[in-house]
Amino acid sequence: MKRSLLAAAALALLPGTALAQDQVTLKFWDNQQTESGLSEYQRAAVERFEAENPGIKVEVTTIPYPEYQQRLLTAVQGGNAPDVSTLDQIWMAAFAEAGAIVPLDDMAGEAGITAEAFFPGAWESANYDGKLWGIPFNVDVWFFSFYNKALLEEAGVDPQSLSTWEGLKAGAEKLTGNGRYGVGLFGHRGEDTVTVLNSFIFSNGGKVLNDDGSCALTEPASVEALEYLASLVPYAPQGILNASSGSMRELFLNGSLAMEFWPALEQPTLKNSNIDWEFVVGHAPEGKTPVGTYGGWNLAVYETSPNKEAAWRFIQFMTREDVNGDVVDLIPANVKAAEAFLNENRVGADRILEHLNNASPRPLSPRYLEVSDIQVTLAQDIYSGTPAQEAAEKACNAINALN
Amino acid sequence: MTKKDSWLVWLFLAPAIILVGVLMYYPMVGTVIESFHSTSFINPNPQFVGLEVYQRIFSQPEFAQIVVNSLVWTVGVVVLQNLLGFFSALLLNQHLPGQGLMRALVLLPWVLPGVVAAILWRFMYDPQLGLINSFLIGLGLSDTGFAWLADPNMAMASAIIAAVWKGFPFSTVVYLAALQNVDEEQIEASIIDGAGPLRRLVDIIIPAIKEVMLINFVLTTILTFNYFDMIWVLTRGGPQNATHIFPTKIYDLGFGQFRFGDAAVYGVFSILVLVLLIALYFTVQGSSRQRRAAP
Repeated sequence: MKRSLLAAAALALLPGTALAQDQVTLKFWDNQQTESGLSEYQRAAVERFEAENPGIKVEVTTIPYPEYQQRLLTAVQGGNAPDVSTLDQIWMAAFAEAGAIVPLDDMAGEAGITAEAFFPGAWESANYDGKLWGIPFNVDVWFFSFYNKALLEEAGVDPQSLSTWEGLKAGAEKLTGNGRYGVGLFGHRGEDTVTVLNSFIFSNGGKVLNDDGSCALTEPASVEALEYLASLVPYAPQGILNASSGSMRELFLNGSLAMEFWPALEQPTLKNSNIDWEFVVGHAPEGKTPVGTYGGWNLAVYETSPNKEAAWRFIQFMTREDVNGDVVDLIPANVKAAEAFLNENRVGADRILEHLNNASPRPLSPRYLEVSDIQVTLAQDIYSGTPAQEAAEKACNAINALN
Repeated sequence: MTKKDSWLVWLFLAPAIILVGVLMYYPMVGTVIESFHSTSFINPNPQFVGLEVYQRIFSQPEFAQIVVNSLVWTVGVVVLQNLLGFFSALLLNQHLPGQGLMRALVLLPWVLPGVVAAILWRFMYDPQLGLINSFLIGLGLSDTGFAWLADPNMAMASAIIAAVWKGFPFSTVVYLAALQNVDEEQIEASIIDGAGPLRRLVDIIIPAIKEVMLINFVLTTILTFNYFDMIWVLTRGGPQNATHIFPTKIYDLGFGQFRFGDAAVYGVFSILVLVLLIALYFTVQGSSRQRRAAP
């Protein structure tokens, strides 16, 4: 009796199983960076994708940024990775080296997807060891220097003078005093600390790593940049070593901080404030061009995915010119989509585009996170008074010991 | 119990044994094995390297700093938390008006979720906008306030204060329960004999609750050594590693930098310390039981 019941149950399940095989369910993970209501647009885009691709259903999981790295890592280690996900540019090399994601060169070649459609630094960040591991999804650049127009006017500082290192320092000095601060520096354990440090190094023609992976932080251009950055400490709010770009936001918004470093993503927050603001595109020594540090996310397909073909179709869709701008809160990585997005959503679209085209990515090393940790210590050392050369040598010893 | 019953006992025990085995001992043994391998996220095929990772980590000055930090953190929090807990329990044990309300209020920090309490303290310590600096500046005790969590010399002390605030009600509850069991007659007799409050405390109350105090010390030591969220939210182990302790370092290495093997070494060291503390706990508990059982 029991056996016959089981057989009947199995038979009853069969047609359902056959149907399920026709329908592919794609697991897509993304990080939730802001509360901008993006997921609503993402949901609309997913519905559009499902309508264009009958037979593929997309299951979207968004995870808050602080947990995202841990969740992905645990999922990959436990063999439960999604089919496709966004990956921070700085994780790409590690995920590739770990064999967690698959190269996309063949599929991109067949589909005619090439570097030209994307920002150069973003495309570069998806390449590692001669292969393409992801398609750029969104980008931004650290940093733009946002300033409080009223405070600058009051102190008699010409905003355009802030573009040079000399001008920034002179301006910061004038803007500091009476409970106000010229410039917000932050040195907590976080990538924002590293990207600002890098931008000053890049803008002076320096590098973090040489092409062979060895440390370049003791080169004169880098040390000079570190010395310069340390010289701004007297004009920053105290508590740099535990401050983040987020804690500086509160001071900027209450009018006690004249200038702050943020990516373009900060604009929606500032637009909603009472502050009359504008921005300059970073800072460089006289005669040099400010170079920003790339930030952003790429889309990658996981090795364990049984639905690689469907995942690839989804990536193509999400990075398409007519879709990319609807599903990102940073800046679309697709250049054409970015132009439209910036003109519609950001102040100073041309300046942002130019800064994006000049920007450099962070080192594309599978051990980047260790390099980054060392760089945070370097930042904390120089902000707390260690001579730049000495701090750079300590950092280089640690970085070179990784190899 | 018949032989037939014994398999039934095992059957009922099995779910608990399997759960504890799979969720606790399997990962623990896995961590020990992993610590003898060179392994990280980018090196998914671990190589057996014996004690090489241990040697490398033990020779780094950072390891010594984590050990010292953990010691300062644990001793600082445990001593202050127990002292504060003991004295607040003494106070709550007096028959004062509003005692019920006070007992409930004292528990408040303890019932707050750990992360919420930590965020609260981070706001209070904020160098520009924080309550503590505004208070000090308002009283004229400081011109600009202090960078509580950003100064390597002050960060650990600041974190300890926050953790003591969060944890002392636990000790209060334990001590209050013990104080209520102190023999009233003995106290009354000592009062008749002319013993003052200090004498009563030292000669009657403390000896009577000595065992509870010991057990509470060991228990809070275990909890504090493993306390992760307060430091992680306040400083993430910074500035310049000044507040990194074992749990934050393990998390940072494993999940922050994908270095599983190195995290495992810190993990094994941490397990050893905890095993010692737990052994101490059972020894103390066992000896106090024996004493109670003795005629």
